[in-house]
Amino acid sequence: MTDDPDHEEMAATTDGGLATVADEPRAVSDLLSETEAGIAGYNYAYLDEHTKREVRRGVLNAIALPGHQVPFASREMPLARGWGTGGIQTTLSLLGPEDTFKVIDQGSDESINAANIRRLAETTADVETTTDTTDASVIQTRHRIPEEVLTDDQILVLQVPTTDPLRRVDGSDDANRRRHAHKNYSKMWVALYENVVEWGEIQISARYPVMVHDRYLMDPSPIPRWDTSKLNDADSLFLFAAGREARIYAVPPHTDVEPLAFEDRQFQVERFDGKRCHRCASTDTYLTEVTDEDGVTRYACNDASFCEKRIEDPTLSKSHHLDDETVAWGPGTPDPLVDDARRETVLDNGNSSVTEGGDEA
Amino acid sequence: MGYVAVKAGKDVIRKSEQLFEKGRIEGEEPNVTVEQVESQFGRLVGQVMSEGGLYAPKLAARAIKQAQGDAAEASFLLRAYRSTLERFDETVPADPDRMFATRRVSPAYKDVPGGQILGATKDYTQRLLDFDFDDTDPTEEWELADEKPESLRNVMELLREEGLVADPDAETDEAFDTTRDPVMFPASRDAVLQELARGETGAMTALAYSALRGYGQVHPTLGEVRVGELPVEIEHPYTGDAVEVTSVEVTESESVVPVFAKRDDPQFAFGYGLVFGRNERKAISMTILDASIQLDGDEPAEDAEFVLDTVDGIDSFGFIEHLKLPHYVTFQSILDRVRTIRERRGLTNVERPEGDASTDRSTPEPDATVTDND
Amino acid sequence: MSLLDAENVTRFYGDVEPCGRCVERTGAEHGRNRCPECGMVVGCADVTLSVESGEVLGIVGESGSGKSSLAEMLALDLAATDGTVAFDAYDGNFLDANYEERVDLQNEHVGMVHQHVGDGLNLEFTGGGNVAEALLAAGWRHFEDVRTRVRDLFEETEVPADRMDDPTSTYSGGMQRRVQIAKAIANDPELVILDEPTTGLDVSVQARVLDMFRRIQREQDVATIVVSHDLGVIRLLADRTVVMRHGRVVETGLTDRVMEDPRHEYTQTLINSVI
Repeated sequence: MTDDPDHEEMAATTDGGLATVADEPRAVSDLLSETEAGIAGYNYAYLDEHTKREVRRGVLNAIALPGHQVPFASREMPLARGWGTGGIQTTLSLLGPEDTFKVIDQGSDESINAANIRRLAETTADVETTTDTTDASVIQTRHRIPEEVLTDDQILVLQVPTTDPLRRVDGSDDANRRRHAHKNYSKMWVALYENVVEWGEIQISARYPVMVHDRYLMDPSPIPRWDTSKLNDADSLFLFAAGREARIYAVPPHTDVEPLAFEDRQFQVERFDGKRCHRCASTDTYLTEVTDEDGVTRYACNDASFCEKRIEDPTLSKSHHLDDETVAWGPGTPDPLVDDARRETVLDNGNSSVTEGGDEA
Repeated sequence: MGYVAVKAGKDVIRKSEQLFEKGRIEGEEPNVTVEQVESQFGRLVGQVMSEGGLYAPKLAARAIKQAQGDAAEASFLLRAYRSTLERFDETVPADPDRMFATRRVSPAYKDVPGGQILGATKDYTQRLLDFDFDDTDPTEEWELADEKPESLRNVMELLREEGLVADPDAETDEAFDTTRDPVMFPASRDAVLQELARGETGAMTALAYSALRGYGQVHPTLGEVRVGELPVEIEHPYTGDAVEVTSVEVTESESVVPVFAKRDDPQFAFGYGLVFGRNERKAISMTILDASIQLDGDEPAEDAEFVLDTVDGIDSFGFIEHLKLPHYVTFQSILDRVRTIRERRGLTNVERPEGDASTDRSTPEPDATVTDND
Repeated sequence: MSLLDAENVTRFYGDVEPCGRCVERTGAEHGRNRCPECGMVVGCADVTLSVESGEVLGIVGESGSGKSSLAEMLALDLAATDGTVAFDAYDGNFLDANYEERVDLQNEHVGMVHQHVGDGLNLEFTGGGNVAEALLAAGWRHFEDVRTRVRDLFEETEVPADRMDDPTSTYSGGMQRRVQIAKAIANDPELVILDEPTTGLDVSVQARVLDMFRRIQREQDVATIVVSHDLGVIRLLADRTVVMRHGRVVETGLTDRVMEDPRHEYTQTLINSVI
């Protein structure tokens, strides 16, 4: 986010429209003389300054119209399309050398794809990286919003596979753009109505459609329903970027974000009745299950970085790093005292099961 | 068991890269050189340049070697590299009539001004697997007439002069550039042609075939198909004259389609194709898709949005292969839905024995360790 | 003021530049609706009519008379070339309503029953879903309320309620017409427009659909414009009737009067040909 002087200077030369970035190869013969098309041949943060500026303009437009999908000229990246190319273009356009960068893929900093994206940012943008959510200034993520509350110093860049929630009901972007322009979402509502008719409740799992600022229907990317409410009235900026689809959209801080639901068929998050993390015993985090060869199912925190902290300190709240520890964030942050008491019971009894899930606010 | 790594993401990636490289290097045979790829796999080099959207035979050959012959991967390497390059200038619009053709066939007419040039092709040979490549160079004994490539008049022009084929819409001052601006629908024809020119050869062939096979109305007669060197000119920065700076090998095709656009002035519809390298299959497919999209009907190949959304190989292969990425967060959410619904229907969910927190506290890895669940 | 007052409603069709004399050179007295000078087709021109609250106005004419163009313009489905319409629920010229106003007006104030089912219903939706769409678009957000209202409307329009969760494409033509009516009246509009309500239905089904609609119309006292080439339909439903030919209104009057004592030569032919 902060440009260093060199960075500025390079930007200035491209502004003139004549010169190109100084250390970029100028002719095919230069390229061919290099044995390895190494990172040395590329601009700071990989993309040329023109492209980065264009992406930033897209981001600004997106912030100005919360939830509206802004087209941008997505570039091919050295990652395959569908593997976070929108996210990485946005991230690289924002990063400066003073940033601290975190990458999460499906809740984990160390999944292979996260490691690969982090490696790209490290080598091309020369940034510090971290796995601690509270230390990061920019976080790129696939399918999760961290368990720890994000602050107004932080930007979360979400990778998006499908930009338009209306694609569930109509494959044509042309038709859907018209619907967004006129806030005509009745087809989506009919889909929800028929969903309830058929199944008794709304059957959408992840990628739950939300209304942003009571204006645009938005696809929040395939985050679980568990994370959806974190978008509402948050302190942090959320950017959504899709490389293949060439769209950027945003939820700025303190924007109303409301999941579509009926008054009498309310939005529900994933249930983990009686389940807790087998490592840190948390009952207020998003868990995923694994069944081993003996048929034993274990649940574990999906946010691996927060789980580590909870192992050290089981009473740590999701807003431990804030002055105000009562910030609403996701499906209920349990009262530490109540939570403590319950945890003790559990540990005393050894194998007794906990019947209460996280407080589902 | 697959990759199980908490803190070793980087190492795992390095190892898999090394394994991939090993596959190429470890054989007994000498390494194929980039130069060999360029000179002996010309068709593949052409295809990669065309799908990669960058005319650079040497870089394409390098990409092919690096990708171990995977055309989609090689095109992708080229495109990703291309996206980091600053743009120096734009060329003067190239006139295909100035192409020096080494091959030119016109199925529409028996004979055409300038004549048919069969050129180098395997079209009429018997496709027999050759068990006896001759490594010595026999070409000196062959009696190949030293045919000079010629610049020829396009057959389609004759038809247009007669008023039998519709004219394309007048060109705009500035061409739309799909690498700089996102394609929105309805897309202008220049945007459609650019996207088709970079389309994946197999996808283009399949969609064009669908139009011929009955899911469309375009069964064209090709005005001509030609392969040759097309001069590339830029405007001289001081004199303003057009100066030839290089030439590119291209395949061009134009077809007439017996569909009449206007009732009061019946004219053939048409389709156009121009692609980098020698790739007649793709150029012909492009003419069919261009014509189909101009018809704007209800069949798949006639729907610009459908065709352009699916024809790009970089997009489609990336998204198809992304399914290999872990999806356990979303899968957990899906599990939650199906269990809830089963409960609502009064069906029982099998409860598996659950691992216990107190006994498992010492297990070192969180769930993120098991990532190959897909 | 009436519920709806239309003045000089006109619609041209054609890619040509109008010559300016298209209206005076076409119409019933010329026996044509294509302008001999410029080739413009005058779908309808200078149509002036009014609809009172609770009244049923019939528009009758042969195909090409301009009656469907008129109905589509009044239902805001087709842009008018010229004309002014005052409508109770709208400030200004109804025909100039912008897209969003149009969507609101169509959803809550003017219900349209289309001749072609595909124009009125989404065949992939369930029948209930089609009716629910009107309610959901009007802001209903309570599922059970929507459900109850849809079921009531099905009963009202005599569609078996146990079919409401089946895809609309599996419905018979008569049922689809009834579902369109249910959707058209879902939000208690001031005006309903029926375009050829019986076309494509068996004779016995026609009669039942018309009886059903007549009952609803009377119970709810909803103003209606019914467009048909079928004098029987007009005779059964309409209080007043407008006769159109070559894009012009040739006669207007109480239905009984028009049927018993037709004044225009064309109306006389029309009625005699039926009798």
